[in-house]
Amino acid sequence: MKRLFRTCLLASAMAAGLGLSGPALAAEGPSNDDLLNDAKSTGDVLTYGMGLQAQRFSPLDKLNPDTVKGLVPVWSFSFGGEKQRGQESQPIIHDGTIYVTGSYSRLYAVDVKTGQKKWQYDHRLPEGIMPCCDVVNRGAALYKDKIYFATLDARLVALNKDTGKVVWSKKIEDYKAGYSATAAPLIVDGKVITGNSGGEFGIIGMVEARDAETGELVWQRPTIEGNMGTLNGKESTMTGVMNASWSGDLYKTGGGATWLGGTYDPETKTLFFGTGNPAPWNSHLRPGDNLYTSSTLAIDPANGDIKWHYQTTPHDGWDFDGVNELVSFDLKKDGQTIKAGAKADRNGFFYVLDRTNGKLLSASPFVTKITWAKEIDVKTGRPVYNDDNRPGTPVGAEKGNSVFAAPAFLGAKNWMPMAYSPATELFYVPANEWGMDIWNEPITYKKGAAYLGAGFTIKPLYDDYIGALRAIDPKTGKIVWEYKNPAPLWGGVLTTGGNLVFTGTPEGYLKAFDAKSGKEVWKFNTGSGVVGSPVTWEQDGEQYVAVVSGWGGAVPLWGGDVAKLVKDINQGGSLWVFKLPKA
Amino acid sequence: MNRHLAAAALLAALSNPALAGPPDPADPLASVMWDVLRPELFGTAPVQFDDRVTVTAPDNAENAAAVPVMADATALGAVEEMVLFADLNPFPVILRFQPLAARPVIATRFKVQQATPLRAAARTPDGVWHIGGKLLDAAGGGCTAPPATYAAADWADHVGEVQGRAWAPVGEDKATRVRFLVRHPMDTGLVAGIPAYFIEALTLRDADGRALARLQTAEPLSENPVFTLEVQPGAGARSLTLDGRDNQGGEVKAAIPLPWVQGALP
Repeated sequence: MKRLFRTCLLASAMAAGLGLSGPALAAEGPSNDDLLNDAKSTGDVLTYGMGLQAQRFSPLDKLNPDTVKGLVPVWSFSFGGEKQRGQESQPIIHDGTIYVTGSYSRLYAVDVKTGQKKWQYDHRLPEGIMPCCDVVNRGAALYKDKIYFATLDARLVALNKDTGKVVWSKKIEDYKAGYSATAAPLIVDGKVITGNSGGEFGIIGMVEARDAETGELVWQRPTIEGNMGTLNGKESTMTGVMNASWSGDLYKTGGGATWLGGTYDPETKTLFFGTGNPAPWNSHLRPGDNLYTSSTLAIDPANGDIKWHYQTTPHDGWDFDGVNELVSFDLKKDGQTIKAGAKADRNGFFYVLDRTNGKLLSASPFVTKITWAKEIDVKTGRPVYNDDNRPGTPVGAEKGNSVFAAPAFLGAKNWMPMAYSPATELFYVPANEWGMDIWNEPITYKKGAAYLGAGFTIKPLYDDYIGALRAIDPKTGKIVWEYKNPAPLWGGVLTTGGNLVFTGTPEGYLKAFDAKSGKEVWKFNTGSGVVGSPVTWEQDGEQYVAVVSGWGGAVPLWGGDVAKLVKDINQGGSLWVFKLPKA
Repeated sequence: MNRHLAAAALLAALSNPALAGPPDPADPLASVMWDVLRPELFGTAPVQFDDRVTVTAPDNAENAAAVPVMADATALGAVEEMVLFADLNPFPVILRFQPLAARPVIATRFKVQQATPLRAAARTPDGVWHIGGKLLDAAGGGCTAPPATYAAADWADHVGEVQGRAWAPVGEDKATRVRFLVRHPMDTGLVAGIPAYFIEALTLRDADGRALARLQTAEPLSENPVFTLEVQPGAGARSLTLDGRDNQGGEVKAAIPLPWVQGALP
């Protein structure tokens, strides 16, 4: 009910008397410099990743292993409705407002002090959207007076941050061909940069930049070799070389979805986008390396050109995907400081690259069991495959030879972002220990139909845990500490200058750990599984923490044996805010 | 703060002749909502109930999801803006209409939630709102039932499509009757699980882009709303354009040919 029983008489009299006209002027939102400075500013959280490099580190230290026991809930906000599915969002905090996205393409603006809703936008989704892995959204992007988010029908929507009114809405791609969009947009130099989703439907992965003001396309960069990019409405350069790593027409349905969005390094002025699995899953149908699937692409934000690439799983046959985020950091080793980037890949290896050129510095396992490769050769940068662990080719209409491979296709680490602490110089990686039986089946491409050509079922490796939060030293690749969790971990990680690491669990807890020792120092049950990414900021001299709660995501849908283990977790949909009250 | 507000209001009241003017005439339809809607829709502007503004609609709504209505204020002469509203609807305002180069007459269909006064108000250049209306009886429920549109799985493919027709001008002012339908579910947001999704602005333009009529449309309009207007395009215009948008950023864009003009049809 929009009927307002306000005294309009008084309002208009005021306007006449005080010379005011119209609503109060909208406050100017964050500038590009503010976004670039987000990792250092402690009073807000302006970007997905808490800084464009996505280290998810806050220098705040009021909360520490000693004081964290005093962290208490301030309020909880319900996303409402019956649409209680996976909540994988990261809140954005600016000028007294929390912006948070919910399942089914919803966006909320909530007063940070009271938890009172300011506005809500419910995107009207058409029937027939085809998100592969639950109706999630991972977060919004804020720039100047607008807030941006991507929707499950593959659109990008810009709203006025103060009113929630739609300013523009642009189609990223055709949802009927299997495209969708779930990642948080990235804003660099006035451009909104997005990836796309739909790697299970034989789509073409794409990175796109749009003018933040108008939504007009600036450039497009397809991720599959042989497809043409665009710049300012004209064809620019081809991605890679036609038919170099794809035979025939396969590059037209090659996959490589950029479904997790990207990160940006202001020091090298480079975008880093991970690319997803090649399509179909059955690798025997597409001989070659299948560039640039299961890779990290370094892209020039000005024109969309590829600066370098690093492929983590050439000729991927296990849906290892390569979409995991590359986090820029300074690697201090042997008295030198190297501009490095780290990526904990779904294939089980933790890669450290020179982020100026994509050269591999080290790759070490971060899960206990990897069957598909013996190691990654640091000289060549390529995996040394165990050839008998590639699922066999189908013969006629019969399925091919089945193999047990680890990690499972849901990954040693999936979408959930890791964190890096410059204070401890450790990465904190939410990992999962599982394997799968996988086999190939005959398949042909059909628009809008799943394009897998594989069957699979996931199995846990251990009786007592699947999830493992691991602290990894990027200098040595060694695991410094780990926390084991019964259910698979599916939420993002936050670390702070107060020597803390936060992450959520499907069992419903938001937990805090000592960043050096891994000792669990605090937990709070939010009432449903936590698969979102926590954030922290300071307000009125107090340190706050926020996280969304609501179980869902890919595990209950694709988890095989594991889905059974988590089937009794109740769904939800809420935003929790905590603080350490002043003494 | 409260004291400041009160002082400002008092100050404004003393300097505003409208407030010091005569009290409003009694509402001929004796609506319980009048005291609420009067300041919300008209502020402090003078109002008068005026038979020259006519509202034509059935006495009893046969279909609560699509009640035909025509509002006509041509008897007033020049009109700057019209508001069509149903007092007892959850969203009283159906539409606002600026007849920039058009007769102050409009016909459409709307959803009715319960029996209600149905009114049109027209603002003349002197700032006075002239209000006409009638009582509409209805079984109701039109605003909280899902649209029939959703029975078709491909409804989303057709949102924003326009069907339109124009008739050759008649009368001294050479007004051209135009009728158009825009495909849209026009969701009110009151149906559980279906977000508000409705067209909020439409502009009918001459061939040179000049706006002839501007509509601010709202939740109560029927799904796939139909509008009839009488506009005055420039001589020689071969077609009119209709543009607009919905509350989710969806765009409407269409051309409506004027077939009696030579060369209007391809």
